[in-house]
Amino acid sequence: MPPSTDWDEIKRLAADFQKAQLSSTTQRLSERNCVEIVTKLIELKLIDVIFTTDGKEYLTSQQLLKEIKDELYVHGGRINTVDLAKELNVDLNQINASVAEIVKGKEVQLVSGYLIAQYYLEKIAREINEKLQLQGQITVGELTLQYDLPAELLQHNILEKYLGKIIIGKQDSSDPRIFYTEEYITRTKAKIRGALTGLLKPTPVTVIINHCNLADRLFMNLFDQINAPGVLTGRQAGALYVPSCYSKSQNDWVINFFKQNNYLEYDALSRLGISDPKGYVKRILVNEDLTFLSSCVIGSQIKLQLDTALEDCILSKSYMDVVSLLPSVLSDSDIINVLDELLKNNSKSTILFENTVFSNHFIENLKQNCMLMAEKKAEAVVKSGKYQQFYLEKQINKATEMSQTTYIDHKAERREERRRKAASGKGGGGTQGRETKTKAVKKHTKSKQAAHDSDSDESPNMSKKNKADLEIITTEDVETIIKETLENEGLDDLLTPISEYIQRSLNQSALALAKEIADKLIQDTSQNRKQTHSFAQDKINILINDIKLYEKGFKLMPSDQQPQFIKYLLKSLGGDILAEFCKYAGNQCNLSVQVDTLTIEQRNKIINDLPDEYKKTLVALNATLSDQNMELFYQAVDVCLSECGMILKKVDKKKDKLLIQNHREKLISELEVCDEPALCLHIAVLAIFTILTQNMLHASGRQVPIVISFLKTQIKEEDFQRLQYYHELVAKFLTSSAEEKVDVEDKLKVELPALKNMVQEIKKYK
Amino acid sequence: MVDESTRKTLSSIPLLQTKAGPRDKELWVARLKEEYQALIKYVQNNKAADNDWFRLESDKTGTRWFGKCWYVHNLLKYEFDLEFDIPITYPTTAPELALPGLDGKTAKMYRGGKICLTDHFKPLWARNVPKFGIAHAMALGLGPWLAVEIPDLIEKGVITYQEKTDEAK
Repeated sequence: MPPSTDWDEIKRLAADFQKAQLSSTTQRLSERNCVEIVTKLIELKLIDVIFTTDGKEYLTSQQLLKEIKDELYVHGGRINTVDLAKELNVDLNQINASVAEIVKGKEVQLVSGYLIAQYYLEKIAREINEKLQLQGQITVGELTLQYDLPAELLQHNILEKYLGKIIIGKQDSSDPRIFYTEEYITRTKAKIRGALTGLLKPTPVTVIINHCNLADRLFMNLFDQINAPGVLTGRQAGALYVPSCYSKSQNDWVINFFKQNNYLEYDALSRLGISDPKGYVKRILVNEDLTFLSSCVIGSQIKLQLDTALEDCILSKSYMDVVSLLPSVLSDSDIINVLDELLKNNSKSTILFENTVFSNHFIENLKQNCMLMAEKKAEAVVKSGKYQQFYLEKQINKATEMSQTTYIDHKAERREERRRKAASGKGGGGTQGRETKTKAVKKHTKSKQAAHDSDSDESPNMSKKNKADLEIITTEDVETIIKETLENEGLDDLLTPISEYIQRSLNQSALALAKEIADKLIQDTSQNRKQTHSFAQDKINILINDIKLYEKGFKLMPSDQQPQFIKYLLKSLGGDILAEFCKYAGNQCNLSVQVDTLTIEQRNKIINDLPDEYKKTLVALNATLSDQNMELFYQAVDVCLSECGMILKKVDKKKDKLLIQNHREKLISELEVCDEPALCLHIAVLAIFTILTQNMLHASGRQVPIVISFLKTQIKEEDFQRLQYYHELVAKFLTSSAEEKVDVEDKLKVELPALKNMVQEIKKYK
Repeated sequence: MVDESTRKTLSSIPLLQTKAGPRDKELWVARLKEEYQALIKYVQNNKAADNDWFRLESDKTGTRWFGKCWYVHNLLKYEFDLEFDIPITYPTTAPELALPGLDGKTAKMYRGGKICLTDHFKPLWARNVPKFGIAHAMALGLGPWLAVEIPDLIEKGVITYQEKTDEAK
């Protein structure tokens, strides 16, 4: 029956269940029990154990020590206590307590939380040695980073301890924290030496160090040991290494350059890398006599050259271009400086134009060339009266100036003074206006240019008056003369300054010359006046005498013909007398009368120009000339003579005869040489008249027929006929046309010798 | 939820398969069999883990269960009587475990000494309806209850240790 079996089974299961429940529980100590027991034991201080952090394990302290040591070994001799605590699952305090125990022995030490065994240090030492051998150089700092150990420990307990034992190397004497191998030192030395030997120009130390991959310090240390071919400018990192070959070649270059050229340019030196060219030059060229200029240094040789050139120039009376003698690098100001010094001693015999030195002689020669022109000009200026005019004006100016300043009121004066001060910047507030002005006048004579400048600020009327300093010679005049000379020398670019210079002095000398000439002229005229006086007196006397003689002559003529003769006589000889008077009066009054014979117009002009006292009498005389009255003429002449302080000499009869004779001879000789038919007839007639009447006759050509008809009664018939015929031919010749003229001329030529013979005949006959 | 050790314990108890109450005649037998097997296993497990904490037996029909349970605190064993009936609606309804000895001594208890189970118990039970049996109810309900309540009660002095003559050791 299934249900019963089921229930049986249940009964059995219940029994099983009871059995299971009643079966004794396993008699083992559960974990809980163990913990309880151990706790109890610890409480009772029966055992000394250490809990693990999770509390599941217990350790004895001996076990802990052992485990720590094992861990230390496993980790290669170095372990952090914190790591240890984690690793061993033991409280850090317990670890620390144990560690203190361990450290008591000498094998292990505790360094900043690390347990470090001796063999670890040895191992490190070996490592370091390897590294050192590899790198050649090692620093404690580097190692500190690598091993995370205190520098001191590394320094004292490893490096210094094992130095020479495990670590083969050397400690840097200057820095105990650096170690290197002997090989490294030698290698580095070689490297530095190589670098330094290879260098040809100054190089910053940092560059070398970077290039060679070195430490500053090592470089500095080793540098002293190497005997490098050069010097360091300093001990700092910013120092410069200057190879001796560089400084040597620098010096060589400088010395050579100086030797060759005798100058040194600062720029060139700076380009060579010399920072203080002046000082450097002083140092290098100790025994040289140097002149320091703004941009360069020049040696004594150049100066000597200049000196000799200058002497040459002075001696040879020529010029020299300083620029060509000086190095081309000199600036203008330098050239001026050099020249200043150079010309200090010779300034009297030289003149400087721009950069060319001229000997005074050279300039003087040029000036001499112009002298002729100057003289001419001076003469011309005096003759034209310009100089006198200028001189007078100057005098007048001075005078007016004086007077002006005296009456200028205070206000104006002050104003003027102020203006002048502001303009000229001259000090001396005390100077009076007048003084300043005279100064200004003096200046005019010095240079026209300067006068213009200073004048521009003066009051306008002043400048107007003083403006014209007489410029006899212009710059252009000088230029044209000296141009050729200068062009030949290739100095045309200096033409203008030289010309101006010469013009100035030349103008001065020309002025002086002009003054001289003018003075002389004045002297001459006053001397001449006396001469002219007697000369004019004589001349007028002669003329009057002649007139009287001629008067006598034409008195022989028929009276109806006489007025004609009087008219002609007054017109010709009377005119001459008037002219003489005019000349004399002109001279007296300083009017220039240049020509010897005056035309009527000139005469009138002079008369008009004359002062009143002369003018009146001469006008009266002039009037008588056209009056045909000899008496009136004589009276007028007398008035004129007395006006001019002259006397009429008494007529000497003997002298008159002689005069007539002379006149006759003169006529005859004139006739001998004469070829002109009309003139021959005229002379012949006059000569015959004189021979026959023993009187002179003054007749014009028109009056010739009258004289011929007068002679009719005196001479032979045939002679008269001949004269008549000849006269007809002449009249025909003068009026005839061109074709007939030749014919008549031939006839006249045939008759001419006969006419001349006739005069001779008549003379003999008489 | 239940703690880790409880869960472990639970998982080691075999699960039941038959869904049957005391009224279900044959099926109840099968169920009862399974109940016993589970209990045996559970007890064995407890013994193996040195964690034996109750004695239990039933009447013939397996509907009424009684026994003892104990709790060790401070090395002292406190023992309590345990009883419960299998409800008609079992296994849908969990059995109401009762500790009559503690009736009125604690708030976590219904009249008649029936223990108040945690909030988690009922849903957990409901979810595992045919699978959980008496063993599970013990492990899941009474065990934790004891672990929480007894030390508290001892502390309060509600229960005191009674020297037992034989069974304690």
